[in-house]
Amino acid sequence: MKPRHDIRNNLRRYRLLADGMTQQDLADRVGVTRQTILSIEKGKYSPTIGLALRLAREFEVPVEDLFELDEENN
Amino acid sequence: MSRLTRLIPWRQTPATLIAASLVVAGFLLMSVSWWFLVLVGLGTFGPGVLRELGWLRDKDEWQQRAAHRAGYHAFLVAGLLATVLMAYFRSGDRMVRNPQELATLFMVLLWSTWFFSSLFSFWGAKKTAMRVLLAFGGFWMVFIVAANTGTEWQGPVGLFMSLLLAVPFFALAWLSRRWPRIAGVLLLVAAVFFFVRLGMHDVSATDWIDRAVLIVLFLGPLLGSGIALLQVGAGEDEADAA
Repeated sequence: MKPRHDIRNNLRRYRLLADGMTQQDLADRVGVTRQTILSIEKGKYSPTIGLALRLAREFEVPVEDLFELDEENN
Repeated sequence: MSRLTRLIPWRQTPATLIAASLVVAGFLLMSVSWWFLVLVGLGTFGPGVLRELGWLRDKDEWQQRAAHRAGYHAFLVAGLLATVLMAYFRSGDRMVRNPQELATLFMVLLWSTWFFSSLFSFWGAKKTAMRVLLAFGGFWMVFIVAANTGTEWQGPVGLFMSLLLAVPFFALAWLSRRWPRIAGVLLLVAAVFFFVRLGMHDVSATDWIDRAVLIVLFLGPLLGSGIALLQVGAGEDEADAA
């Protein structure tokens, strides 16, 4: 389910900065499965707006800090 | 129920467990009456219907998208087959054995397409192909050992030679991780080889429906894995979702 348009994310970086939070911990906090977090971090899946906002709120950062367009491929 | 699901090493929802129980019960009771096949249908399709109605919310957005994608793939493949069959039956006076098995063919095709599409979503092409090939090799070895018992015993050399036929499957499994596109091409070649070698191309035979079911079950995984591997990008690291 690779996204057609390229979006980069810094989810893994923010997750590890949060005292080494595990994928399962993050998944539990935002109400999804670990598979979803894994797929987002690997760039295989772009979350819905709602999930992106929940993730941003979890790390207390703007959503643009977590997700950005890949300028090289756009 | 939540305590029970926590005992299971892999995470499954209560709905999935209930559905699986219905499927197992249905298969077991089919020897009593074919109407118990309805239980299998309820277990297989019931949760999906409830999710689409919004009455069951046990899957997150990624899982829902994977399920929708798998369903779309099954629709495309079954639709293609339906079109071909309509053309086939309407283009002449066709005599086939066991026409009721057409329903079986469609069920097998729908389920296997949905199943493998789901696996590709969860595991990625390389891991799925590797596991499919390991399963093929393993089943082949078990089959050979089981077939070489009693009066069929060929001796240790004969048994060993027969078991060597499983080696290509294991070799392709290894190759699929290192060079996925080469493995993909070889899998497509293997699928065509088995298609011809096992006489499955002879649709003039009246038992072609039964052959078609075998094609789907035996060649489908090889074909699907081959196609998926051809789409793996260079240097792409597969998601390890499981």
